Amino acid sequence: MKRILSSVTDGKGFDIGLVALPLAFLFVMSGLPLVYNVVMSFQEVDMFSLGSFARPFVGFRNYVDLFSQPETRPILFNTALFVAASIAGQFAIGFGLALFFWTNFPGASWLRGLFLVSWVMPGLVVGAIWNWILSGDFGVLNFLLRETGVIDGNIFWRSDPNYSLWAVIIANIWLGTSFNMILLSVGLSGIPKDLYEAAELDGANALQRFWTITLPMMRSTIGAIIALGLIFTLQQFDLFAAITSGGPNNTSNVTQYWAWDLSFRQYDFAKGATISVIMIVFVMFASVVYVRSTRHEVRG
Amino acid sequence: MSEQFRNRLMLAVALVLAAIYLFPLYWMYITALKSGSAMFATPPKFWPSEPQWGIYGDVWQSRNMGRYLWNSLVIAFGAVALISVLGVGCAYVLARYRNVWVDIGLFLILMLQVLPASLMITPIFVGFSQFGLLDTPRFAVILAIAAKSMPFFVVLVRATFMSVPMELEEAALVDGNSRIGAFFNIVLPLARNGILVSAILIFMQAFGEFVYSKSMIQDIELQPASVGLNSFMGPNTNEWNNIMAYATIYVTPILAAFILLQRRIVSGLTSGALK
Repeated sequence: MKRILSSVTDGKGFDIGLVALPLAFLFVMSGLPLVYNVVMSFQEVDMFSLGSFARPFVGFRNYVDLFSQPETRPILFNTALFVAASIAGQFAIGFGLALFFWTNFPGASWLRGLFLVSWVMPGLVVGAIWNWILSGDFGVLNFLLRETGVIDGNIFWRSDPNYSLWAVIIANIWLGTSFNMILLSVGLSGIPKDLYEAAELDGANALQRFWTITLPMMRSTIGAIIALGLIFTLQQFDLFAAITSGGPNNTSNVTQYWAWDLSFRQYDFAKGATISVIMIVFVMFASVVYVRSTRHEVRG
Repeated sequence: MSEQFRNRLMLAVALVLAAIYLFPLYWMYITALKSGSAMFATPPKFWPSEPQWGIYGDVWQSRNMGRYLWNSLVIAFGAVALISVLGVGCAYVLARYRNVWVDIGLFLILMLQVLPASLMITPIFVGFSQFGLLDTPRFAVILAIAAKSMPFFVVLVRATFMSVPMELEEAALVDGNSRIGAFFNIVLPLARNGILVSAILIFMQAFGEFVYSKSMIQDIELQPASVGLNSFMGPNTNEWNNIMAYATIYVTPILAAFILLQRRIVSGLTSGALK
């Protein structure tokens, strides 16, 4: 007993205790729900069986039912479009801004940091602001687009099935751009300056330097950021709740909102669990890509 | 083109870019000050002619914001306290050793970091309701947020511990400190700033958390400000000035804290997330 006690205060037991408690907590709070999620996706869950663990086992019926629903295919397509457009927009604008601020002038780093306000704001507030900016008749975005002659009539961003998903994408690009920019700036500042000096002496112009030095040197950073972007866009829920609620008629619905909607609006917990399982597998795959591209950091 | 002129030009362009990017925030502040009719004027005014300063007090009263913000604070403080107590030690051990077990632990933690809350809420809700945790919904939300955010905290704080020289701790051990003594007297004070910044980041996230609170807290008395904002925004609302006033009251403290601590937050964030 004394040996154990002294090990805890003064030996390996100290380390093991420090790490075992949080890992046990994470196992109970994240690991078990993950398993439970898979179990529920193979069960029949309704309001009456919600309180018991022994529910009827239905095999793959939830999965079959899910894929035979007419809205499944459009929602999966929406998710793919949402992710691709958000990442493309965030990355392109973020990279442009990072390159601009990289030229280094007085005040650059402070102003660059200011962009991160979008990242610390609650998602619901960002959604509320964009909901108002994108409003059809009185939205300021429609006004600006009209004044600059881009559009003739008002676009009803939130209620027009052709635009509702894009309303959320615009808000999400705004939200994610700053994070992309900051991480890309970190990557850019890691490129040795003498590479550029050498290239300049050899007569390479700015575009050639970008293609032959900046992009190749940034390859692992870019890979990590794209994977992180995938992870973050698949986590995006608040903007959907605040701007379109997945409507009208599911035209702006994506899987991560749909899973919640199935469970908490339609009380179909089995279907919610089923779609969650499918998406979690997908997110796990993305995170393996992310971990691989930051492997040297993990190894220390 | 002189150096000074170039710098001024770049700064001017940067200010314009920042102004464009931060326009949504500006629009929130301006809309809150507009009267009901000025809000729907065409063309919209970009500067309020008759600012309605009384709106903040009205919205605070009518929406019962004190209660909502109090609940947000309880949830955020609870989550940060739980995460700090559990996460600091974990990050310390993961920073101090380099072997295959640490790699595995880090890998698991990074995997847990990516699980979307809106997908995890279904099993968490059903499981929590079976174990009776939903009778104390704010505590249930704190547990769920802690599980969601702790991996991120561990990754950030681990980066801080990596920068504390191991020799200092070894010297303390040679001087007769126990491991616990060395941890609390030497390592922890040296890593204090990094831990504080990470805790603030977690606090900001938990302060705006929505999915878990929306799903698990049915009692309006216990709901946080994010859920309150959501129920304020009905499908066909036209009270945008009031909603923006609500949003202003909600985010201004966060924004002020962010601007004060900006440098530290940005450097803390970048050191952990990617390097």
